[in-house]
Formats: sequence, structure tokens, C-alpha cells
Amino acid sequence: MTQHAAGRARTLDSVDVVVDTDAHVTESVDQLLEYMDPADEGLRRIVEDAAHPEHDIYSVAHPTPPFIHTDAFGDVYGDHPTGTVEAKRSEMDEFDLDYSVLNPTLGLALATVNNDRAAVALAKAYNAWILDQFVDDGRGDILTPVLVPPQAPDKAAEIVDERADEPGVVGVQIPSTGLVPPPGHRWYDPLYEAAEENDLPVMFHSGSGATADIFPVLRKWAETYAEDHAMVHPFTAMWNLTSMLFQAVPERFPDLEFVFQEAGVGWIPYTKWRLDDHYLELSDEVPGLEQLPSKYVDERFHFSTQPLGYTGDHPEQMAKMIELVGPETLMYSSDLPHPDFDPPEELYDRVRGHLDDEAVRGIMGETAADVFDLS
Amino acid sequence: MSDGGRRHRVAHANEVAEPGDRVIVDVEGQEVAVFNVDGDLHALPNFCPHQAAPLCEGDLTGRMVVGEDGWSWEYVQRGEVVTCPWHGWKFDVTTGENVKDDAVAVPHYEVERDGGDVVVLR
Repeated sequence: MTQHAAGRARTLDSVDVVVDTDAHVTESVDQLLEYMDPADEGLRRIVEDAAHPEHDIYSVAHPTPPFIHTDAFGDVYGDHPTGTVEAKRSEMDEFDLDYSVLNPTLGLALATVNNDRAAVALAKAYNAWILDQFVDDGRGDILTPVLVPPQAPDKAAEIVDERADEPGVVGVQIPSTGLVPPPGHRWYDPLYEAAEENDLPVMFHSGSGATADIFPVLRKWAETYAEDHAMVHPFTAMWNLTSMLFQAVPERFPDLEFVFQEAGVGWIPYTKWRLDDHYLELSDEVPGLEQLPSKYVDERFHFSTQPLGYTGDHPEQMAKMIELVGPETLMYSSDLPHPDFDPPEELYDRVRGHLDDEAVRGIMGETAADVFDLS
Repeated sequence: MSDGGRRHRVAHANEVAEPGDRVIVDVEGQEVAVFNVDGDLHALPNFCPHQAAPLCEGDLTGRMVVGEDGWSWEYVQRGEVVTCPWHGWKFDVTTGENVKDDAVAVPHYEVERDGGDVVVLR
């Protein structure tokens, strides 16, 4: 473990290591094009030809522009261009984060790419870019999952096999909004098999850029970004967790671990109770599960904590909720540089004094160090 | 599972003579159901631990499992599983255990045939 930086006095006085388990980069299509495999030249030409690749290659659309109070996915702080390792390191310094596990921004909409070959080429380009630009400096404090195209599970499995052993690769990111079919379907079995064989957790990060056409939130019927964004993350997570559990993914892949991202924490107890209820009540439709759905969640699922939400005059309710979820399943995340980020203190200040020190250290970093095998 | 207790003559054997037959009786103020499962008699309280429903008034069914090939769904234990009439929780009549969560169970009472009588040990 690295010792935290000496410059800023850490206010998390009982914590040795802070891991940001959902640290974003803001990649551009141009950056990806630079890293596209020469073998994908045909696809590169098509992507280059798009005047608006976010819409004519990806199908990103929002009801109204994202986070209109700020340059949401560009330069949040004004000092550094994002999409660079320097920007990420300045965020890590400012918020005193020891490790960052990166996720894409545009890549969260990878499921919206209609052309499977383009989706595969873009995912491969992203992985080449993120490893070269952020991870491969030998410092070991910036890590990344392999980004995979859910449209092509067979190709995704090849990407996992190809990248799994590279230093700094700690998981497999399946951009999780707009998955058709949903992630419990056997369509994804080759991908889960590859992740399991390579001993990497599968990570599911939702995204409001992927709601144009597909459940769980149809952009056409949300009149504002606020409506769309408020519900896309929890709805995605609830639907995906339901699909994966009731289609018995944890039974079919007994060594696989799962990480759900960007839905906060409050939805978890409700969903566990509801799935347990349906497991017992409609049991003839869930023959593949051998125990309560909540037990699989407690044993092999983890959740990154951002966005925690605003508890108004009752900050203690957050600690109670985390106790209800099970602190050992939670991992701190910032979401930086996105403008709905949670600094570490937002979580730490809610739980210290309410949970014991070991649980607090676990949430802030030690559980993530274990899940992502950081050392 | 109960391994004995007081003997209660609760019914005539011909009331539960055939597999699938059941009779619900009063044992010291508690409703108890006696089931015939493949010729053997089993007794459970007529009470679901979920929400206090009359469990044993539900259908005698089986349960779904995944076949050995990992693909097929097979219906097994036909006539051995009572399905609660309120919310469908299923209990193995031969053990009292919920078929999906063995941490949930109702007591299972031994039953004997004594001449023409059915005797519940509870």
C-alpha cells in the first residue's frame, strides 16, 4: 500500500488507504481513433467520417444537456483538460485518493453502438488508450477494468483474455445501461466465463448516455436530464441485478465476483428484500438458485457508493442505511470528475462513530484492495 | 423434526388411505394436517411461518429443479410439497422444510397407524 500524500492533511484520520472504485476519465472519440488497431482501419474510416460520432456511431442522447450548470464532461475545475493522466492525478491529490480504478465516460454508452464491429474496435481502442496513457507508468496507483462490448460477448471474451494479465488490469467493465438482452441471459456466458477464468470481477456501470432507445429509462419520455439521470442509475442496477440473480448467473459461474456502480446504496436493501420475496413466492420460476438471492449478494456482490444522495437534516440515516446494506459489500467511489461526485469525507463523515473502525476502513479502501487485488 | 411426544388419535385411517389424501384435525388447540405421501403419513401444523396463513390448505404439488444437463427444468417431488394458499411458499411435507430455504421450516410430526386410527406424536 502506498502511504497517503503528505501535503493535504487527511481528515480521514482512522483510514490508511482510500480507493476510489469509480474514477472516471472523459475520453474523446479523437483520442480513441488514435489508438484504434490498424486491423480496424475500415471501422476507423467510418468513425472518422461521422460528423457527430456520439450520435451516428454511438446513439447518445439526453432529454436536455447534461449538468447545465457546468461543463459536465469536459474541464470541471478549469485548471486542467480532462481525459489526461495529469488531470486524474490532480483530482487524486486534491481529494487525497490513494488508488483510482478508472471507468470511461463516453464508453458507458458502448451498448448504444449499433454496429458490432465498431463497438469492438472502439472498446479495443479505449483499452489501448487507457493502459498507455493512464496505467502504464509503473506507479501502480491508477488501475482499470478492461472495457468490453456487450454486443459481442465472444469478441469481448477475446479482449478479456488478451488484456487480463497486463499490469493494472483489475476487472471487466460491462457498460450496463441499455443491455439487450439483459445481463442474466446466457448470451453473455462466454464473457462471464472469460472473466471467471482470468479471476477478474465483472463490473456494471450504468450511464445516462445510453437511455435513448432502451429500458430502463426512455429518453423520449423524460422531459429533463434531471428526470432521466435521477432514475437511470438505480433502475439499471435493479433490473440488471434481478436478471442476473433470477437467471442464476452466480450459480452458473461459482467463482465470479460482481461489482455494481453508480447507483448509490439505498436501493440495495429494498431490492434484496423484493428478490428474496419473489424467490420464495415464485420458486418454480427460479430453479437455478440454491439459496436466497440476498445471500449471493452478501457473498459475491460489491457496490461502489456514489451517489450517496442528500439526507438533509438527518445525516445519521446514511449510516443506518449502510448498516442495513452491509458495510462489507460497499466500496467508496468518487465519480470524479463528473459533477455529481462524492468526496471521501461525504461517506467517511457519515459512518465514522457509527460503524466500528474496521468497517470504516473496509468501506473506504480495504475491501476494494481485496476485490481488485491491490498490493 | 419431532421424534415423539404425546400420542393423539386424530382420525380414522381410511380418511387418509390414498396418496394425496389429507385431513386437518385439532391437536390440543392447534390445527395439524396429516398427509398421505406415497403411502406414508406425515403431519405439519396448519400454519405458514411467513404470514400465518393456513399452509396445509394449499395444493399438494411438486417443485421445479434444473436438470442434470444444466438446461432442462424438471418437476420433481410430485405430491410431496405443500404450496401455501396465500403466497406460494413451498414446504416439503416429509421434512417440514421450505424447499428454497431450509432455514425456514415448520415442525414435522411423526404419524403412526394404530389399528384403524391415525396417531400424531406431538
